Amino acid sequence: MLVTWRYRKRKSLIQSFDPRAWLIFFACFLASTLFFWDLRYLTFFLGLALITVFTSGITWKEMSRAWIFIGGFILFFSFLTFLTGRGGMELYQSEHLLRALRAPFAIFGWTPTLNITAERTMFSISMLLRVFSIASMTILIPYSLNPGLYGVTFRGLGLPDKIAYGMDLTMRFIPTLGRDFTQTMDAQRARGYELEKLSGGLAAQIRKLAPLVVPVTIHSIIGSEDIIDAMDLRAFGVGPRTWLDQLHYRRRDYALMAFGVLVLMVSIALSMWGFGKFWVPQPLLDLAVGIL
Amino acid sequence: MPNELPLVVEDLSFRYRSREDWAIRSMSFSVQPGELLLIAGSSGCGKTTLARAINGLIPRSYKGELSGRILLHGQEYTRAPLSRISQVVGTVLQDPERQILGTRVLNEVAFGLENLGLSRPEIVAAAEDALKRLGILALRDRETFYLSGGEKQKVALAGVLAMKPSILLLDEPLASLDPASARETLAIVRQLADEGMTVLMVEHRVEDVIHMHPDRVMFLKDGEIRYLGPLSGMTEAVDYHHIKLPAPMVMERAAADPPPAPVTPQPERFRTAAEQPSAPLVRFENVGFGYDDEVRVLKGINLDIRRGDIIAVLGPNGAGKTTLVKHAIGLLKPKVGRVLVDGRDTHELSVAQIANTLGYVFQSPSHMLFAPSVQDELAFGPTNMHHAPEQIEAEVREALEIVHLTGYEKNPPLALSFGQQKRVSIAAILAMRSRILVMDEPTAGQDYKNYMDFMDAIVQMPSFEAILFITHDIDMAVIYANRVLLVNQGTVVRDGPPQEVLADAELLRGNRLVPTSLLEENLKHFPQTGRLLRAEALAHALRPTV
Repeated sequence: MLVTWRYRKRKSLIQSFDPRAWLIFFACFLASTLFFWDLRYLTFFLGLALITVFTSGITWKEMSRAWIFIGGFILFFSFLTFLTGRGGMELYQSEHLLRALRAPFAIFGWTPTLNITAERTMFSISMLLRVFSIASMTILIPYSLNPGLYGVTFRGLGLPDKIAYGMDLTMRFIPTLGRDFTQTMDAQRARGYELEKLSGGLAAQIRKLAPLVVPVTIHSIIGSEDIIDAMDLRAFGVGPRTWLDQLHYRRRDYALMAFGVLVLMVSIALSMWGFGKFWVPQPLLDLAVGIL
Repeated sequence: MPNELPLVVEDLSFRYRSREDWAIRSMSFSVQPGELLLIAGSSGCGKTTLARAINGLIPRSYKGELSGRILLHGQEYTRAPLSRISQVVGTVLQDPERQILGTRVLNEVAFGLENLGLSRPEIVAAAEDALKRLGILALRDRETFYLSGGEKQKVALAGVLAMKPSILLLDEPLASLDPASARETLAIVRQLADEGMTVLMVEHRVEDVIHMHPDRVMFLKDGEIRYLGPLSGMTEAVDYHHIKLPAPMVMERAAADPPPAPVTPQPERFRTAAEQPSAPLVRFENVGFGYDDEVRVLKGINLDIRRGDIIAVLGPNGAGKTTLVKHAIGLLKPKVGRVLVDGRDTHELSVAQIANTLGYVFQSPSHMLFAPSVQDELAFGPTNMHHAPEQIEAEVREALEIVHLTGYEKNPPLALSFGQQKRVSIAAILAMRSRILVMDEPTAGQDYKNYMDFMDAIVQMPSFEAILFITHDIDMAVIYANRVLLVNQGTVVRDGPPQEVLADAELLRGNRLVPTSLLEENLKHFPQTGRLLRAEALAHALRPTV
């Protein structure tokens, strides 16, 4: 049986809108954010995301695991970006060196050096802000979208019946996969399997994951076949389908969609006029001790 | 006119594309309107294939070679689209978990009607009608995920009835239900037949469905019909070792046969030694547990598992049985109190460490099978526990013998039938040679003969000091257990010898258990026998006085 995300009916800004309107707004938000590297512009999007998070009515306890996982991931990669400066090369040509940290040792004549530059610092902060804004908005969706309305939401967005129902099943498939994974992990631990003790090279380690990966995969395949049979036996896909639940746009939904589209248009226009590109504040540049 | 019969099967044969043997061969029969036909047989007899051919999954979802004809109300549907068949034949699958698609009860029941493109008011009316008919209108707006097993089964049935089929096909609908829920389902099915619906019910535990008085019974073996007629005539046609018949029928037949070989439960030899109090193998001290703060799944559990115990854990769906036993192997750690295994707190032990002492067989085999061969699958546990290679070889061989799978060493476990996979999953734990064996519903989805054989073999294994199993089957407790734990709403309601716990009819009813004919026969003759026995043994124990 498919399980659902931890949706609960809450009094919140996000749940006060029609799910279709929210998904359209979300798509506009996502696309708009990607136009900017300028910290000042990104702050606007972060602000929007934070307002949604803080009015979502979801408690920290409910979300903490998702936040810790995704937050850890984002922080780790932003830090990596800061260390290496990778990814920012297309946005700036030269770097203003703020400080060079040299290791007090040398390996075969090479002294590991960390160059802290104004550009790298700003790039990793901008990156952090962008990804964090998008992640915050995305995390909220499974908690706030009624799983009973997935299908009719996608249908309402113009997808054909079969694809809309397929999307519905897909959205519920992800948490189901999580549950199957836990059950398999439990079953294998009861046979003395310890994930923590994986050893050997990469290939050997992957091979040792088979006791987890194989049952979860097979279980998903069998599960999908059952679902297909159950759908076939109840005449799915024979013709145009009635969706029992109905969604109705209200004035606030139109307003939200209009706002989303407006933000997107303005973002496109700004970026075409050359605004919102990578930005390093002048005071930071003034601190530079050299140029790389 | 024979053409108006709801179902006529003419010379039907089918062979799955991937198999060499025919799954069913030259079957011919017909069913009267309002008839309740029971289709029985052990696994591999062709009963599921027959069901799939009738509901149209064969040849649409399951490809292969099909010959013969199936007429529904005089019309041939062999080539008709599934959508048309599904309006004539409604199918309820074995496990409601695998059939329910909707997140809310009303949407689940409405699913078929939505697909037929009816108008919303029509859909709601038909769905509510079906819910009312089954007496579950109160569940209308509940989320399907939080329903009990019995409720899920009824919701699945309502989803089928809403489409107003004239033939209802039920494929082992009782397998995942507690006895009281099973009885309720049977009563509903009987009522539907009385109201004129034609019902085909596939079930191998004949004993369990006898109360709904099937009009006829069909017994299948090796893909052929071996018997078709009234229930009373069936006892002659079937082997009571293979099909679970009511205890009085078995006793009548068994009295004429040579007495069965005695089964001596090995853990019991520890029992006599344990008269002087020894340290318990597992101890629960005031254990409480919940998945989040509010829900208390377990409350104040105090329990010792001692050497020599063969414990049957009984109780309704959702009582907390699985949660309880998961604490014994440390997969769950108590929020309140503590669990000691061999005197050590499970908070301080890893699951792998506990697995040395306690082997745990999960309910679903598909969550653990992964290896390319049965041999590798069985060696996995012992290898993790660093057993010596030659020792592992012996352990694997012996485990396979117990579950009747010798000769399957090289087969990939994932290509075996469900019943065989289940036995591989049991053997995989047996090969680990733990001192305590814990099994969650070991007999679910199994053939009667197979599970009786492996249960016989398991209790006779010399390596186990204690055995504990969860079951819905009271007869398992009657035949194998020397101690019964009755669990309900997260507490141990009663803990004692089976002859005491199971004799309390009031207690059983209160915990959604229904006495079986075997239990009743045993209780009736207990003053003579002094112990609970299987039907064959009971027949012989009573012989001098019969």
